[in-house]
Amino acid sequence: MTEQLTYEQALEKLDEQLKLLEDGNLGLEEALKAVDEARVYLQVCTERLEAARRKIEVRGEPEPGQ
Amino acid sequence: MLRPEEAQRPYTVTELANEIRRELRPLTALLVKGEVTGMKRGTKGHYSFAIRDGQSLINGFLYADDARRVTTLPEDGQVFIFRGRVDYWTQYGAIRFVIDQVEFDDVGKLRAQLEELKRKLEAQGAFATERKRPLPYLPKAVALITSPTGAVIHDLQETILERFPNMTIYVYPVQVQGAAAPMSVSRALRRCGRELLADVIVLARGGGSFEELYAFNTEIVARSVLESQVPVVTALGHTSDRTVADMVADAECRTPTEAGSRVVPKKSDLTAQLRDRNRRLTREIGRRIAREQEQLDHRRRRVAQLLPALVRQRVERLTRAASDLARLSPTAQVARREEALRDRGRRLDAAVAARLARSSHALASLRAGDRLARALSSRLTTAAHGLEHRRQRLVALSPEAVLARGYSITHDAETGAVLRAATQTAAGRRIRVRLAEGRLGAQVDSVGR
Repeated sequence: MTEQLTYEQALEKLDEQLKLLEDGNLGLEEALKAVDEARVYLQVCTERLEAARRKIEVRGEPEPGQ
Repeated sequence: MLRPEEAQRPYTVTELANEIRRELRPLTALLVKGEVTGMKRGTKGHYSFAIRDGQSLINGFLYADDARRVTTLPEDGQVFIFRGRVDYWTQYGAIRFVIDQVEFDDVGKLRAQLEELKRKLEAQGAFATERKRPLPYLPKAVALITSPTGAVIHDLQETILERFPNMTIYVYPVQVQGAAAPMSVSRALRRCGRELLADVIVLARGGGSFEELYAFNTEIVARSVLESQVPVVTALGHTSDRTVADMVADAECRTPTEAGSRVVPKKSDLTAQLRDRNRRLTREIGRRIAREQEQLDHRRRRVAQLLPALVRQRVERLTRAASDLARLSPTAQVARREEALRDRGRRLDAAVAARLARSSHALASLRAGDRLARALSSRLTTAAHGLEHRRQRLVALSPEAVLARGYSITHDAETGAVLRAATQTAAGRRIRVRLAEGRLGAQVDSVGR
């Protein structure tokens, strides 16, 4: 499920969980669940930051007449 | 020009052709103005067409190399000013005007055409902000469509990698200027959409004059930007007016640096952002666990406080049970009943004693009654004497006593009234006479005075 998330989507979900936690209305079980979930999204974000490989690739095509 | 000494031998065709060619050589760096017809693209990337002015015609030729360099490609029906040289092609026996520069004859007319295109696109909603697609917050890769040489590509790469050192960049080299530029740019845009290697496109060139930016004002490029599968950001330089490509793009920047910042966030910012989230997460869970701990401690303290009381309660209950048990045991019951009997005996004795006491008291009261009776009796005797005296006086005064002395009482027989005077009756009336003993009935004979 998290594999399809973009950085932005994962960050949004992370912030949702954080807000729930910071609002302080969660029971202990729920709070622990929210933390687990938030950690997953945090991990997704971190992975997305490192996902790109530094690479410059020239996608040349033969120009007609060359 | 035939030289007299050579007149005896005919020219070969090649000799004549070369001769013609040589003679035409001075016709170089000429400017020719004319309308284009029969524009054809050759297999090697060259173009051939006719240039005419209504009376005459000359064949024009544009080599592939020059075609890439010229600012605009000749179009049928349009008047251009061509710069070039006249050449005689010996193998075809043809004269051609070989062009190295093409300029619009009438920039004003071109601008008018451009305005018309803008109006058309505007009417179709191509410039509407709602139509524009959002750029990815963090692209997985960036596509650069630009000239592979020059400062633009360098600046873009530098900006992007400085902000995000491990970003992937795909460069789609295109002609940004010249006759082939519109098709070249359009092809690259379509290819980006097909390959989907990147999720954002930067379409860039390093500025230029109106003519140099011609490709970005063509409908073909505008349509390709509009139809692009991937969001497009333009960076066409800050020296010119906005092009149509700028207007239909999803975001518009002036410089490559600006475009680079626009499409790629600073990795350090994102890292800081995540660090902040992580800090908040750790703080929240720490706070939460501390709260839970505190509540547990509170409960533990309360249990500690309540424990002695709970024990005491149970001890008391046990004590009560023990005493209940003692009370209910047979020995205790017998003892209690004996005690009850004893109690009743005592109460009986007391009742009897009380009763005796009450009786003797009553006897004493009877003796007191005698004295009362005596007192009452003497008072009754006195009263009896009084009564006798009154009775004697009553007898003396009563009519019976008077009658007893010989008097009588006469009543009218009818009315019963006592007759006190003779006039109260009349002769013939019935009267009754009451004597001391008995009564008489009589009739009045006469009445005297």
